[in-house]
Amino acid sequence: MSETKSEPVIQVKDLYKFYSIGNNKVKALNGVDFTINRGEFCSIVGTSGSGKSTLLNMLAGLEKPTKGQIVIGGEHIEKMNENQLVKFRREHVGFIFQSFNLLPTMNAVENVALPLTFRGMPKKIRLAKAAKMLELVGLKKQCKHKPTQMSGGQQQRVGVARALVVKPEIIFADEPTGNLDSNTSAEVMNLMKKIVREQNLTLIMVTHDNHLASFADRIFHIRDGKILKIEDNTNREVTIDEEI
Amino acid sequence: MNFLDLLTMSVNNLWRRKLRTALTVLGVVIGTAAIVVMVSLGIALNKSYLEDVEQSGGLTTINVYSGNEYAFFEGGSQSDDTEKIELTDDVIEELAQLDHVEFVSPVLTSNIIIKQGLYQADLYVRAMSSEALNKLDIPLAYGSVPQDGEELRYVLGNQAITNFYNAKTNSYPYWDTGEVPDVDLQGDFFVIYDVDAYYQTLWGDASDPESGTTIKPPKKYIMSDFSLVSGGLEEYNQFSSDTYANIDAFKAQLKKVFKNKAIPGQPTTKSGKPYKYWVYNEAYVKVDHMDNVTDVQKVISEMGLQPTSNAEWVESAQKQSRSIQAVLGGIGAVSLFVASIGIANTMMMSIYERTKEIGIIKVLGCSLGNIRTLFLLEAAFIGLIGGILGLILSYGISALMNQFMGSMMSGMMGSTSSVSVIPPWLSLFALSISVLVGILSGFFPALKAMKLSPLSAIKTE
Ligand SMILES: Nc1ncnc2c1ncn2[C@@H]1O[C@H](COP(=O)(O)OP(=O)(O)O)[C@@H](O)[C@H]1O
Ligand SMILES: [Mg+2]
Repeated sequence: MSETKSEPVIQVKDLYKFYSIGNNKVKALNGVDFTINRGEFCSIVGTSGSGKSTLLNMLAGLEKPTKGQIVIGGEHIEKMNENQLVKFRREHVGFIFQSFNLLPTMNAVENVALPLTFRGMPKKIRLAKAAKMLELVGLKKQCKHKPTQMSGGQQQRVGVARALVVKPEIIFADEPTGNLDSNTSAEVMNLMKKIVREQNLTLIMVTHDNHLASFADRIFHIRDGKILKIEDNTNREVTIDEEI
Repeated sequence: MNFLDLLTMSVNNLWRRKLRTALTVLGVVIGTAAIVVMVSLGIALNKSYLEDVEQSGGLTTINVYSGNEYAFFEGGSQSDDTEKIELTDDVIEELAQLDHVEFVSPVLTSNIIIKQGLYQADLYVRAMSSEALNKLDIPLAYGSVPQDGEELRYVLGNQAITNFYNAKTNSYPYWDTGEVPDVDLQGDFFVIYDVDAYYQTLWGDASDPESGTTIKPPKKYIMSDFSLVSGGLEEYNQFSSDTYANIDAFKAQLKKVFKNKAIPGQPTTKSGKPYKYWVYNEAYVKVDHMDNVTDVQKVISEMGLQPTSNAEWVESAQKQSRSIQAVLGGIGAVSLFVASIGIANTMMMSIYERTKEIGIIKVLGCSLGNIRTLFLLEAAFIGLIGGILGLILSYGISALMNQFMGSMMSGMMGSTSSVSVIPPWLSLFALSISVLVGILSGFFPALKAMKLSPLSAIKTE
């Protein structure tokens, strides 16, 4: 793990995002700087309205910053146009949503295969890959189920599989367990962590739950659009591993 | 994205909303059918015009008359100041030399009487060169078109038998009682060429008012081997009443009959002696192409002759039918326009409903071009399906109209052609138009879908 640590994937410099509602100016992000390395699992934690989602959306190129730089894999995200951003997401990013956001008309395997469709992969190959991915998240039997025929936990596993199937360099997850009960949350968290570890992926997860945040290597505490502190969890994790 | 994936995706989306898709398609069906049926009416109208023209002598022929008709009828006297251009062999030759003229035939017309048993008939003979007769393409029930070098033969019109009357009772069996007179058209006939003399002797006034000499009844010539134009007694066409003959044989016959006397219709000197040359009543001019008819006609009238052709009539008829077609097509276009508003509306609705879905696929990396194509394909599909169904409906309507209105119309206008004609180009045109209308009405909705912000789309619950 330590050999990959030195390579930065995401560099954020002096990032601001202001919303104006009428005459009021909301400072959703108020000067943020950090670097995330390849293979890291980072969580962004803070109270509701602290600017977590805003930060994540800008990292994923879903929103334009008011000011500042976001460099991912050497490329300036903030300078890209809509077309380039879509291409960037298609090639480098996986996304896990709080409300799962599976397409209701498609079954599990089709949902997982969807991002591969956008890459122009032939049907046979992408369905095979999707099925394999579903097996990995433990949903082999539910392959043909529609989202409405699955529990929340199962749906989010499909969501995880969909994010992972394209083998993205970075995975963004906005409150991925926000709609799940605590047991299921832990299951999904463990699953995500396991796969991310195995495949050496970079995962950035937003949560308001300190416990869930503690699954990560590093924890970014955010309040009122500013990073309060960055807690390094790796050493503690190592000690936990040693205890076991 | 693969095109196949795009295709299946948009078809699936349409299939998900069956009822709405069906209703939108219905709009296109009606619009397409309206256009196709309306235009098919216009086409049929135009076609029947052209067929009428064909029946009355074709599109590439000009009939030329001598410069001054009236002088001709006044006993051929040349006392008028206007110099009359007569249709002599020289003039015929001159006409033949004109550009775009394929050939020219003189037309010599004359009245003759034929008799068989109780019945006789007055026939109007049009003698022409065999080249022209062949070109006329006279449909024959039996016999053949008289050729150069043959003995004199006649081609009777298919309605010729209705002209026979009983010379004693002076009644026409066909017109009076509807009976077909007992005449064997393939049998022998007496032919009388000197019609004037025949009637003068018949009415008892058997002396020439000028010379005072007694007129003898004209000689009768036995003839057979008449050919007959095909067609029923009620069927009217340009060959149904006139009698055709080869001009050389006919001239030879007239010379033989009248010897030194003046042939009726031919010019004479003041003392009543015939000239050595022939003067024809008409010239039949065949032009190489329809488009040149007007030009040739102009040149001929500059020669001092009177040309007539169907060109002007055809032009005005076509202009009229074009404007009728435009009006009919316009009515159809309005309904297709309404259908296109329906498509646009459906697509907009569908985009509002699918805002979230569009947002998700954008976050997952579906390119903007793909999203646009997806919606354009959906709209195009609505157009295509509507177009195909509309076309099928149009063929049905067209067949029904031809079945029920066709007989009504043919009774009224005397033409046997159909009321509605859908040529292949119209089908193709209708399909492309309906697809095009689909794509055009899907264009702005597709742009809108493309511009949806992925973020606001995700936030929509
Ligand atoms: N589209 C927007 N327009 C205006 N204000 C917004 C918008 N999105 C977020 N905000 C504001 O920005 C702040 C941070 O929001 P967000 O990043 O969603 O918080 P979190 O995800 O931490 O709960 C909040 O005060 C919120 O009201
Ligand atoms: Mg949030």
